[in-house]
Amino acid sequence: MHLIPQSSSHFHLLVSIFPSIGLIFMLGFYATAFATDNEAMKRSCLVLFAILGLLAIPTYMSGDRSMAVLSQDPKISPDLMTTHFGWGITSLALLLLTGATALIELWRCRHAKRLSNDALHLVLGLAIVTLALMVITGEVGWEINHHELRLDPATQRTPQAWSHVHIILNHFPTVGFVFALVFYIAALVMNNVVMKRASLVVFVVCAILGVPTYVTGAASMWALTGVAGISRAAINAHRDMALWTLFGLAFTGVTAWIELWRFRHLGRFSNRALYLVLAFAIITLGVMAETGHRGGQINHPEIHVATDPLPTDPKAGLSPAIESLINHVIWFVPWQTVHFFGFSLIFGTALAVSLRVLGFWKSMPFSAVHRILPLGVFGVVMNVFSGMLILFADSSRYLNATTFAPKTALITIGAIAVLYFSLSERLWTVKAGEDAPMSAKWVAALVLLSWAGVIMGGRLIPYV
Amino acid sequence: MEYGNAAIIFMVIAVVACVLGLTFFGVYCLNKFVDQNTRKGGSVRQP
Repeated sequence: MHLIPQSSSHFHLLVSIFPSIGLIFMLGFYATAFATDNEAMKRSCLVLFAILGLLAIPTYMSGDRSMAVLSQDPKISPDLMTTHFGWGITSLALLLLTGATALIELWRCRHAKRLSNDALHLVLGLAIVTLALMVITGEVGWEINHHELRLDPATQRTPQAWSHVHIILNHFPTVGFVFALVFYIAALVMNNVVMKRASLVVFVVCAILGVPTYVTGAASMWALTGVAGISRAAINAHRDMALWTLFGLAFTGVTAWIELWRFRHLGRFSNRALYLVLAFAIITLGVMAETGHRGGQINHPEIHVATDPLPTDPKAGLSPAIESLINHVIWFVPWQTVHFFGFSLIFGTALAVSLRVLGFWKSMPFSAVHRILPLGVFGVVMNVFSGMLILFADSSRYLNATTFAPKTALITIGAIAVLYFSLSERLWTVKAGEDAPMSAKWVAALVLLSWAGVIMGGRLIPYV
Repeated sequence: MEYGNAAIIFMVIAVVACVLGLTFFGVYCLNKFVDQNTRKGGSVRQP
Protein backbone atom coordinates (compact mmCIF):
# COMPACT_ATOMS: atom_id res chain seq x y z
CA MET A 1 0.00 0.00 0.00
CA HIS A 2 2.96 2.32 0.57
CA LEU A 3 3.35 2.53 -3.22
CA ILE A 4 0.16 4.61 -3.41
CA PRO A 5 1.18 8.28 -3.39
CA GLN A 6 0.11 10.22 -0.33
CA SER A 7 1.12 13.70 -1.49
CA SER A 8 0.95 15.79 -4.67
CA SER A 9 4.75 15.73 -4.96
CA HIS A 10 4.79 11.93 -4.82
CA PHE A 11 1.95 11.66 -7.35
CA HIS A 12 3.70 14.16 -9.66
CA LEU A 13 6.93 12.12 -9.55
CA LEU A 14 5.00 9.01 -10.60
CA VAL A 15 2.63 10.37 -13.20
CA SER A 16 5.05 12.76 -14.94
CA ILE A 17 7.36 10.01 -16.22
CA PHE A 18 4.61 8.52 -18.40
CA PRO A 19 4.12 11.47 -20.79
CA SER A 20 7.89 11.90 -21.15
CA ILE A 21 9.56 8.46 -21.21
CA GLY A 22 6.29 6.81 -22.26
CA LEU A 23 6.20 8.90 -25.43
CA ILE A 24 9.52 7.39 -26.55
CA PHE A 25 8.08 3.87 -26.34
CA MET A 26 4.81 5.02 -27.91
CA LEU A 27 6.73 6.47 -30.86
CA GLY A 28 8.59 3.15 -31.20
CA PHE A 29 5.31 1.22 -31.36
CA TYR A 30 3.81 3.83 -33.70
CA ALA A 31 6.81 3.63 -36.06
CA THR A 32 6.43 -0.18 -36.09
CA ALA A 33 2.72 0.20 -36.94
CA PHE A 34 3.71 2.42 -39.90
CA ALA A 35 6.54 0.13 -41.03
CA THR A 36 4.30 -2.96 -40.97
CA ASP A 37 1.13 -1.09 -42.05
CA ASN A 38 -0.75 -2.83 -39.26
CA GLU A 39 -4.14 -1.17 -38.85
CA ALA A 40 -4.95 -2.69 -35.42
CA MET A 41 -1.61 -1.51 -34.07
CA LYS A 42 -2.17 2.01 -35.45
CA ARG A 43 -5.57 2.15 -33.69
CA SER A 44 -4.08 0.80 -30.44
CA CYS A 45 -1.38 3.51 -30.63
CA LEU A 46 -4.03 6.21 -31.13
CA VAL A 47 -5.92 4.95 -28.05
CA LEU A 48 -2.73 5.14 -26.01
CA PHE A 49 -1.87 8.61 -27.36
CA ALA A 50 -5.35 9.70 -26.21
CA ILE A 51 -4.73 8.20 -22.73
CA LEU A 52 -1.32 9.95 -22.57
CA GLY A 53 -3.07 13.19 -23.55
CA LEU A 54 -5.49 12.73 -20.64
CA LEU A 55 -2.52 12.17 -18.30
CA ALA A 56 -1.53 15.79 -19.01
CA ILE A 57 -4.34 16.89 -16.64
CA PRO A 58 -3.21 15.03 -13.46
CA THR A 59 0.41 15.81 -14.34
CA TYR A 60 -0.35 19.54 -14.46
CA MET A 61 -2.54 19.51 -11.32
CA SER A 62 -0.11 17.51 -9.19
CA GLY A 63 2.80 19.63 -10.46
CA ASP A 64 1.00 22.84 -9.57
CA ARG A 65 0.24 21.63 -6.02
CA SER A 66 3.72 20.23 -5.63
CA MET A 67 5.14 23.67 -6.58
CA ALA A 68 3.13 25.28 -3.82
CA VAL A 69 4.55 22.81 -1.27
CA LEU A 70 8.15 22.96 -2.52
CA SER A 71 8.22 26.77 -2.63
CA GLN A 72 8.33 26.63 1.22
CA ASP A 73 11.66 24.76 1.02
CA PRO A 74 14.64 27.19 1.01
CA LYS A 75 16.85 24.58 -0.73
CA ILE A 76 14.62 24.58 -3.83
CA SER A 77 15.40 27.19 -6.47
CA PRO A 78 12.24 29.20 -7.41
CA ASP A 79 13.83 30.08 -10.77
CA LEU A 80 14.23 26.40 -11.66
CA MET A 81 10.64 25.70 -10.66
CA THR A 82 9.39 28.62 -12.80
CA THR A 83 11.43 27.41 -15.79
CA HIS A 84 10.15 23.83 -15.30
CA PHE A 85 6.58 25.15 -15.04
CA GLY A 86 6.94 27.17 -18.28
CA TRP A 87 8.33 24.28 -20.33
CA GLY A 88 5.96 21.86 -18.59
CA ILE A 89 2.79 23.73 -19.41
CA THR A 90 3.84 24.11 -23.07
CA SER A 91 4.66 20.43 -23.47
CA LEU A 92 1.51 19.30 -21.62
CA ALA A 93 -0.66 21.55 -23.81
CA LEU A 94 0.92 19.96 -26.88
CA LEU A 95 0.44 16.49 -25.39
CA LEU A 96 -3.23 17.26 -24.84
CA LEU A 97 -3.46 18.37 -28.48
CA THR A 98 -1.75 15.13 -29.62
CA GLY A 99 -4.20 13.06 -27.57
CA ALA A 100 -7.19 15.05 -28.83
CA THR A 101 -6.07 14.63 -32.48
CA ALA A 102 -5.70 10.87 -31.93
CA LEU A 103 -9.13 10.66 -30.31
CA ILE A 104 -10.81 12.68 -33.10
CA GLU A 105 -9.24 10.44 -35.74
CA LEU A 106 -10.39 7.31 -33.91
CA TRP A 107 -13.93 8.73 -33.65
CA ARG A 108 -13.95 9.90 -37.27
CA CYS A 109 -12.88 6.52 -38.63
CA ARG A 110 -14.80 4.35 -36.16
CA HIS A 111 -16.71 2.66 -38.98
CA ALA A 112 -14.05 3.01 -41.70
CA LYS A 113 -11.64 0.19 -42.53
CA ARG A 114 -8.57 2.43 -42.75
CA LEU A 115 -7.41 5.48 -40.82
CA SER A 116 -6.48 8.64 -42.69
CA ASN A 117 -2.75 8.86 -43.39
CA ASP A 118 -2.74 12.67 -43.04
CA ALA A 119 -4.20 12.48 -39.53
CA LEU A 120 -1.80 9.71 -38.58
CA HIS A 121 1.17 11.79 -39.74
CA LEU A 122 -0.20 14.81 -37.86
CA VAL A 123 -0.30 12.75 -34.63
CA LEU A 124 3.26 11.57 -35.34
CA GLY A 125 4.54 15.12 -35.88
CA LEU A 126 2.79 16.44 -32.77
CA ALA A 127 4.13 13.54 -30.66
CA ILE A 128 7.72 14.17 -31.84
CA VAL A 129 7.53 17.90 -31.00
CA THR A 130 5.91 17.06 -27.62
CA LEU A 131 8.72 14.62 -26.87
CA ALA A 132 11.38 17.25 -27.65
CA LEU A 133 9.69 19.68 -25.24
CA MET A 134 9.25 16.92 -22.63
CA VAL A 135 13.01 16.22 -22.71
CA ILE A 136 13.72 19.85 -21.74
CA THR A 137 10.93 19.85 -19.12
CA GLY A 138 12.17 16.60 -17.59
CA GLU A 139 15.77 17.78 -17.48
CA VAL A 140 14.85 21.01 -15.66
CA GLY A 141 12.47 19.06 -13.39
CA TRP A 142 15.16 16.60 -12.28
CA GLU A 143 17.48 19.48 -11.38
CA ILE A 144 14.90 20.92 -8.93
CA ASN A 145 15.44 18.19 -6.32
CA HIS A 146 18.74 16.67 -7.31
CA HIS A 147 21.15 19.23 -5.83
CA GLU A 148 24.01 16.71 -6.12
CA LEU A 149 24.05 17.27 -9.90
CA ARG A 150 25.38 20.78 -9.27
CA LEU A 151 28.31 19.66 -7.08
CA ASP A 152 31.79 20.70 -8.25
CA PRO A 153 33.19 17.74 -10.31
CA ALA A 154 36.73 18.55 -9.06
CA THR A 155 35.71 17.55 -5.52
CA GLN A 156 34.13 14.24 -6.61
CA ARG A 157 35.98 10.91 -6.96
CA THR A 158 33.02 9.28 -8.71
CA PRO A 159 31.49 11.77 -11.17
CA GLN A 160 27.87 12.85 -10.66
CA ALA A 161 27.37 12.15 -14.37
CA TRP A 162 26.65 8.55 -13.25
CA SER A 163 23.80 9.77 -11.00
CA HIS A 164 22.50 11.98 -13.80
CA VAL A 165 22.44 9.08 -16.27
CA HIS A 166 20.87 6.78 -13.64
CA ILE A 167 18.06 9.27 -12.90
CA ILE A 168 17.15 9.25 -16.60
CA LEU A 169 17.88 5.61 -17.46
CA ASN A 170 16.04 3.93 -14.56
CA HIS A 171 12.68 5.09 -15.93
CA PHE A 172 13.15 3.29 -19.24
CA PRO A 173 12.71 -0.33 -18.06
CA THR A 174 9.89 0.70 -15.69
CA VAL A 175 7.80 2.77 -18.11
CA GLY A 176 8.81 0.54 -21.04
CA PHE A 177 7.42 -2.51 -19.22
CA VAL A 178 4.09 -0.75 -18.55
CA PHE A 179 3.64 0.12 -22.24
CA ALA A 180 4.93 -3.26 -23.44
CA LEU A 181 2.50 -5.03 -21.10
CA VAL A 182 -0.45 -2.95 -22.31
CA PHE A 183 0.42 -3.71 -25.95
CA TYR A 184 1.17 -7.35 -25.14
CA ILE A 185 -2.16 -7.96 -23.43
CA ALA A 186 -3.96 -6.18 -26.29
CA ALA A 187 -1.99 -8.33 -28.77
CA LEU A 188 -2.94 -11.55 -26.95
CA VAL A 189 -6.61 -10.51 -26.87
CA MET A 190 -6.65 -9.47 -30.56
CA ASN A 191 -4.26 -12.29 -31.57
CA ASN A 192 -2.17 -9.76 -33.50
CA VAL A 193 1.24 -11.20 -34.48
CA VAL A 194 2.91 -7.83 -35.23
CA MET A 195 1.88 -6.42 -31.84
CA LYS A 196 3.05 -9.59 -30.09
CA ARG A 197 6.46 -9.34 -31.75
CA ALA A 198 6.75 -5.60 -31.05
CA SER A 199 5.92 -6.09 -27.35
CA LEU A 200 8.39 -8.97 -27.06
CA VAL A 201 11.07 -6.73 -28.60
CA VAL A 202 10.32 -4.01 -26.02
CA PHE A 203 10.60 -6.59 -23.20
CA VAL A 204 14.02 -7.61 -24.53
CA VAL A 205 15.18 -3.98 -24.96
CA CYS A 206 14.03 -3.15 -21.40
CA ALA A 207 15.91 -6.20 -20.09
CA ILE A 208 19.06 -5.05 -21.90
CA LEU A 209 18.62 -1.51 -20.52
CA GLY A 210 18.43 -3.08 -17.04
CA VAL A 211 22.20 -3.69 -17.24
CA PRO A 212 23.34 -0.04 -17.67
CA THR A 213 20.60 1.00 -15.21
CA TYR A 214 22.01 -1.31 -12.53
CA VAL A 215 25.62 -0.32 -13.28
CA THR A 216 24.91 3.43 -13.24
CA GLY A 217 22.94 2.87 -10.01
CA ALA A 218 25.93 1.18 -8.37
CA ALA A 219 28.13 4.09 -9.51
CA SER A 220 25.59 6.61 -8.18
CA MET A 221 25.92 4.95 -4.79
CA TRP A 222 29.60 5.95 -4.71
CA ALA A 223 28.90 9.38 -6.21
CA LEU A 224 26.33 10.01 -3.44
CA THR A 225 28.54 8.71 -0.62
CA GLY A 226 29.21 11.62 1.72
CA VAL A 227 26.52 13.87 0.20
CA ALA A 228 24.45 15.49 2.98
CA GLY A 229 20.98 14.03 3.50
CA ILE A 230 21.65 10.77 1.62
CA SER A 231 21.32 7.57 3.66
CA ARG A 232 23.46 4.55 2.73
CA ALA A 233 20.86 2.28 4.34
CA ALA A 234 18.18 3.68 2.01
CA ILE A 235 20.51 3.15 -0.97
CA ASN A 236 21.17 -0.47 0.07
CA ALA A 237 17.44 -1.16 0.42
CA HIS A 238 16.98 0.16 -3.14
CA ARG A 239 20.00 -1.84 -4.34
CA ASP A 240 18.61 -5.10 -2.93
CA MET A 241 15.36 -4.65 -4.80
CA ALA A 242 17.27 -3.61 -7.95
CA LEU A 243 19.05 -6.96 -7.80
CA TRP A 244 15.72 -8.82 -7.87
CA THR A 245 14.59 -6.52 -10.69
CA LEU A 246 17.69 -7.47 -12.68
CA PHE A 247 16.79 -11.17 -12.28
CA GLY A 248 13.18 -10.47 -13.27
CA LEU A 249 14.29 -8.51 -16.32
CA ALA A 250 16.68 -11.32 -17.29
CA PHE A 251 13.95 -13.98 -17.03
CA THR A 252 11.43 -11.89 -18.98
CA GLY A 253 13.97 -10.71 -21.57
CA VAL A 254 15.44 -14.15 -22.28
CA THR A 255 12.01 -15.84 -22.49
CA ALA A 256 10.80 -13.09 -24.83
CA TRP A 257 13.94 -13.34 -26.99
CA ILE A 258 13.68 -17.14 -27.24
CA GLU A 259 10.09 -16.74 -28.45
CA LEU A 260 11.24 -14.22 -31.11
CA TRP A 261 14.00 -16.62 -32.17
CA ARG A 262 11.63 -19.61 -32.34
CA PHE A 263 9.05 -17.55 -34.26
CA ARG A 264 11.72 -16.90 -36.89
CA HIS A 265 12.13 -20.63 -37.48
CA LEU A 266 8.57 -21.86 -36.95
CA GLY A 267 6.52 -18.89 -38.17
CA ARG A 268 4.18 -19.11 -35.16
CA PHE A 269 4.24 -18.52 -31.42
CA SER A 270 3.78 -21.04 -28.65
CA ASN A 271 0.84 -19.94 -26.47
CA ARG A 272 2.39 -21.50 -23.38
CA ALA A 273 5.61 -19.52 -23.87
CA LEU A 274 3.67 -16.30 -24.51
CA TYR A 275 1.79 -16.66 -21.22
CA LEU A 276 5.07 -17.48 -19.45
CA VAL A 277 6.46 -14.15 -20.73
CA LEU A 278 3.28 -12.44 -19.49
CA ALA A 279 3.66 -13.96 -16.00
CA PHE A 280 7.35 -12.99 -15.80
CA ALA A 281 6.57 -9.47 -17.02
CA ILE A 282 3.80 -8.90 -14.45
CA ILE A 283 5.97 -10.16 -11.56
CA THR A 284 8.96 -8.10 -12.76
CA LEU A 285 6.82 -4.96 -13.05
CA GLY A 286 5.69 -5.44 -9.43
CA VAL A 287 9.31 -5.82 -8.26
CA MET A 288 10.31 -2.79 -10.37
CA ALA A 289 7.58 -0.66 -8.81
CA GLU A 290 8.97 -1.42 -5.33
CA THR A 291 12.54 -0.75 -6.58
CA GLY A 292 11.46 2.60 -7.99
CA HIS A 293 9.66 3.49 -4.77
CA ARG A 294 12.76 2.71 -2.69
CA GLY A 295 14.91 4.67 -5.18
CA GLY A 296 12.63 7.69 -4.88
CA GLN A 297 12.97 7.59 -1.10
CA ILE A 298 16.75 8.17 -1.36
CA ASN A 299 16.68 11.76 -2.54
CA HIS A 300 13.09 13.00 -2.18
CA PRO A 301 12.50 14.02 1.47
CA GLU A 302 9.26 15.68 0.39
CA ILE A 303 7.60 12.29 -0.22
CA HIS A 304 8.55 10.69 3.11
CA VAL A 305 5.62 9.65 5.31
CA ALA A 306 5.65 8.47 8.93
CA THR A 307 3.93 5.17 8.04
CA ASP A 308 6.76 4.21 5.67
CA PRO A 309 9.98 4.67 7.71
CA LEU A 310 13.35 4.62 5.97
CA PRO A 311 15.80 1.81 6.79
CA THR A 312 18.59 2.79 9.20
CA ASP A 313 21.10 -0.09 9.15
CA PRO A 314 23.61 0.37 6.27
CA LYS A 315 24.89 -3.20 6.71
CA ALA A 316 21.49 -4.90 6.50
CA GLY A 317 20.22 -6.63 3.37
CA LEU A 318 21.34 -8.87 0.55
CA SER A 319 23.81 -6.59 -1.27
CA PRO A 320 26.22 -6.02 1.67
CA ALA A 321 26.08 -9.79 2.37
CA ILE A 322 27.05 -10.65 -1.26
CA GLU A 323 29.77 -7.97 -1.16
CA SER A 324 31.31 -9.59 1.89
CA LEU A 325 31.00 -13.12 0.45
CA ILE A 326 32.39 -12.41 -3.01
CA ASN A 327 35.51 -10.81 -1.53
CA HIS A 328 36.69 -14.29 -0.50
CA VAL A 329 38.85 -15.78 -3.23
CA ILE A 330 36.98 -19.08 -3.33
CA TRP A 331 33.75 -17.36 -4.34
CA PHE A 332 35.33 -14.82 -6.67
CA VAL A 333 37.53 -17.00 -8.89
CA PRO A 334 34.83 -19.37 -10.31
CA TRP A 335 32.64 -16.46 -11.41
CA GLN A 336 35.57 -14.69 -13.05
CA THR A 337 36.23 -17.89 -15.01
CA VAL A 338 32.53 -18.11 -15.97
CA HIS A 339 32.79 -14.48 -17.15
CA PHE A 340 35.59 -15.40 -19.60
CA PHE A 341 33.64 -18.39 -20.88
CA GLY A 342 30.65 -16.10 -21.36
CA PHE A 343 32.71 -13.71 -23.48
CA SER A 344 33.99 -16.62 -25.57
CA LEU A 345 30.41 -17.72 -26.28
CA ILE A 346 29.21 -14.18 -27.07
CA PHE A 347 32.11 -13.26 -29.30
CA GLY A 348 32.24 -16.67 -31.02
CA THR A 349 28.54 -16.48 -31.86
CA ALA A 350 28.65 -12.81 -32.87
CA LEU A 351 31.69 -13.53 -35.08
CA ALA A 352 30.12 -16.50 -36.88
CA VAL A 353 26.76 -14.80 -37.52
CA SER A 354 28.27 -11.42 -38.43
CA LEU A 355 30.85 -12.90 -40.79
CA ARG A 356 28.10 -14.79 -42.70
CA VAL A 357 26.16 -11.52 -43.01
CA LEU A 358 29.32 -9.72 -44.14
CA GLY A 359 29.79 -12.24 -46.97
CA PHE A 360 31.80 -15.17 -45.55
CA TRP A 361 30.55 -18.82 -45.84
CA LYS A 362 27.98 -18.00 -48.47
CA SER A 363 27.31 -21.71 -48.97
CA MET A 364 25.11 -21.47 -45.86
CA PRO A 365 21.73 -19.74 -45.79
CA PHE A 366 21.33 -17.10 -43.06
CA SER A 367 18.72 -19.30 -41.32
CA ALA A 368 21.47 -21.87 -40.61
CA VAL A 369 23.69 -19.44 -38.71
CA HIS A 370 20.64 -17.94 -37.00
CA ARG A 371 20.34 -21.32 -35.24
CA ILE A 372 23.44 -20.67 -33.12
CA LEU A 373 22.28 -17.30 -31.74
CA PRO A 374 20.94 -18.75 -28.42
CA LEU A 375 24.51 -19.73 -27.54
CA GLY A 376 25.50 -16.04 -27.59
CA VAL A 377 22.36 -14.97 -25.71
CA PHE A 378 23.03 -17.51 -22.94
CA GLY A 379 26.61 -16.15 -22.89
CA VAL A 380 25.14 -12.68 -22.22
CA VAL A 381 23.06 -14.09 -19.33
CA MET A 382 26.16 -15.82 -17.89
CA ASN A 383 28.10 -12.59 -18.07
CA VAL A 384 25.41 -10.34 -16.63
CA PHE A 385 25.20 -12.65 -13.62
CA SER A 386 28.96 -13.24 -13.21
CA GLY A 387 29.79 -9.60 -14.06
CA MET A 388 27.39 -8.40 -11.39
CA LEU A 389 29.10 -10.64 -8.79
CA ILE A 390 32.54 -9.42 -9.90
CA LEU A 391 31.30 -5.82 -9.64
CA PHE A 392 30.18 -6.50 -6.06
CA ALA A 393 33.75 -7.48 -5.13
CA ASP A 394 35.17 -3.98 -5.64
CA SER A 395 32.54 -1.76 -7.25
CA SER A 396 34.24 1.56 -6.43
CA ARG A 397 37.45 0.54 -8.26
CA TYR A 398 35.67 -0.93 -11.29
CA LEU A 399 33.22 1.94 -11.72
CA ASN A 400 35.93 4.59 -11.51
CA ALA A 401 38.02 2.88 -14.20
CA THR A 402 38.19 4.90 -17.43
CA THR A 403 37.01 2.06 -19.66
CA PHE A 404 34.04 0.86 -17.56
CA ALA A 405 31.51 3.41 -18.86
CA PRO A 406 32.32 2.76 -22.57
CA LYS A 407 32.23 -1.00 -21.86
CA THR A 408 28.73 -0.71 -20.37
CA ALA A 409 27.53 1.46 -23.28
CA LEU A 410 28.94 -1.03 -25.82
CA ILE A 411 27.23 -3.99 -24.07
CA THR A 412 23.91 -2.16 -24.48
CA ILE A 413 24.54 -1.24 -28.12
CA GLY A 414 25.90 -4.71 -29.04
CA ALA A 415 23.01 -6.56 -27.36
CA ILE A 416 20.29 -4.38 -28.93
CA ALA A 417 21.97 -4.64 -32.37
CA VAL A 418 21.87 -8.48 -32.19
CA LEU A 419 18.05 -8.26 -32.03
CA TYR A 420 18.13 -7.16 -35.69
CA PHE A 421 19.25 -10.66 -36.74
CA SER A 422 15.97 -12.12 -35.45
CA LEU A 423 13.74 -9.32 -36.73
CA SER A 424 14.83 -8.44 -40.26
CA GLU A 425 12.60 -10.01 -42.90
CA ARG A 426 15.08 -9.34 -45.70
CA LEU A 427 17.97 -10.96 -43.85
CA TRP A 428 15.90 -14.07 -43.05
CA THR A 429 15.30 -14.69 -46.76
CA VAL A 430 19.05 -14.73 -47.60
CA LYS A 431 19.57 -18.18 -49.13
CA ALA A 432 22.79 -20.14 -49.70
CA GLY A 433 25.01 -18.30 -52.20
CA GLU A 434 23.18 -14.99 -51.73
CA ASP A 435 24.58 -11.75 -50.38
CA ALA A 436 22.99 -10.09 -47.32
CA PRO A 437 21.50 -6.58 -47.75
CA MET A 438 23.83 -3.64 -47.10
CA SER A 439 21.85 -2.49 -44.01
CA ALA A 440 22.41 -5.94 -42.43
CA LYS A 441 26.14 -5.67 -43.14
CA TRP A 442 26.31 -2.37 -41.24
CA VAL A 443 24.51 -3.96 -38.29
CA ALA A 444 26.86 -6.98 -38.39
CA ALA A 445 29.88 -4.64 -38.33
CA LEU A 446 28.34 -2.74 -35.39
CA VAL A 447 27.77 -6.02 -33.50
CA LEU A 448 31.35 -7.16 -34.06
CA LEU A 449 32.91 -3.82 -33.14
CA SER A 450 30.68 -3.44 -30.05
CA TRP A 451 31.52 -6.84 -28.59
CA ALA A 452 35.22 -6.46 -29.46
CA GLY A 453 35.08 -3.11 -27.62
CA VAL A 454 33.37 -4.75 -24.61
CA ILE A 455 36.17 -7.31 -24.29
CA MET A 456 38.90 -4.67 -24.70
CA GLY A 457 37.15 -2.32 -22.28
CA GLY A 458 36.92 -5.10 -19.69
CA ARG A 459 40.54 -6.18 -20.01
CA LEU A 460 41.79 -2.57 -19.77
CA ILE A 461 40.01 -1.95 -16.44
CA PRO A 462 43.01 -2.89 -14.24
CA TYR A 463 45.46 -0.83 -16.32
CA VAL A 464 43.91 2.52 -17.27
CA MET B 1 38.56 -19.37 6.58
CA GLU B 2 41.47 -20.36 4.34
CA TYR B 3 41.06 -22.65 1.34
CA GLY B 4 43.80 -24.64 -0.42
CA ASN B 5 44.53 -24.60 -4.15
CA ALA B 6 42.74 -27.92 -4.63
CA ALA B 7 39.52 -26.51 -3.16
CA ILE B 8 39.68 -23.46 -5.45
CA ILE B 9 40.37 -25.56 -8.57
CA PHE B 10 37.53 -27.94 -7.67
CA MET B 11 35.19 -24.98 -7.14
CA VAL B 12 36.12 -23.44 -10.52
CA ILE B 13 35.60 -26.73 -12.39
CA ALA B 14 32.29 -27.41 -10.60
CA VAL B 15 30.82 -23.94 -11.22
CA VAL B 16 31.98 -23.76 -14.86
CA ALA B 17 30.74 -27.30 -15.58
CA CYS B 18 27.31 -26.49 -14.11
CA VAL B 19 26.93 -23.15 -15.93
CA LEU B 20 28.22 -24.40 -19.30
CA GLY B 21 26.27 -27.65 -18.93
CA LEU B 22 23.04 -25.73 -18.39
CA THR B 23 23.83 -23.41 -21.31
CA PHE B 24 24.55 -26.21 -23.78
CA PHE B 25 21.53 -28.18 -22.57
CA GLY B 26 19.34 -25.11 -23.14
CA VAL B 27 20.70 -24.60 -26.67
CA TYR B 28 20.32 -28.33 -27.41
CA CYS B 29 16.68 -28.30 -26.29
CA LEU B 30 15.84 -25.19 -28.33
CA ASN B 31 17.41 -26.59 -31.50
CA LYS B 32 15.84 -30.03 -30.92
CA PHE B 33 12.42 -28.34 -30.71
CA VAL B 34 13.01 -26.56 -34.03
CA ASP B 35 14.35 -29.80 -35.61
CA GLN B 36 11.30 -31.81 -34.54
CA ASN B 37 8.98 -29.25 -36.07
CA THR B 38 11.11 -29.19 -39.23
CA ARG B 39 10.74 -32.95 -39.68
CA LYS B 40 6.97 -32.79 -39.36
CA GLY B 41 6.97 -30.38 -42.26
CA GLY B 42 4.36 -27.84 -43.18
CA SER B 43 4.68 -25.76 -40.01
CA VAL B 44 8.20 -24.56 -40.70
CA ARG B 45 8.77 -21.08 -42.06
CA GLN B 46 11.11 -21.69 -44.95
CA PRO B 47 13.42 -18.80 -45.84
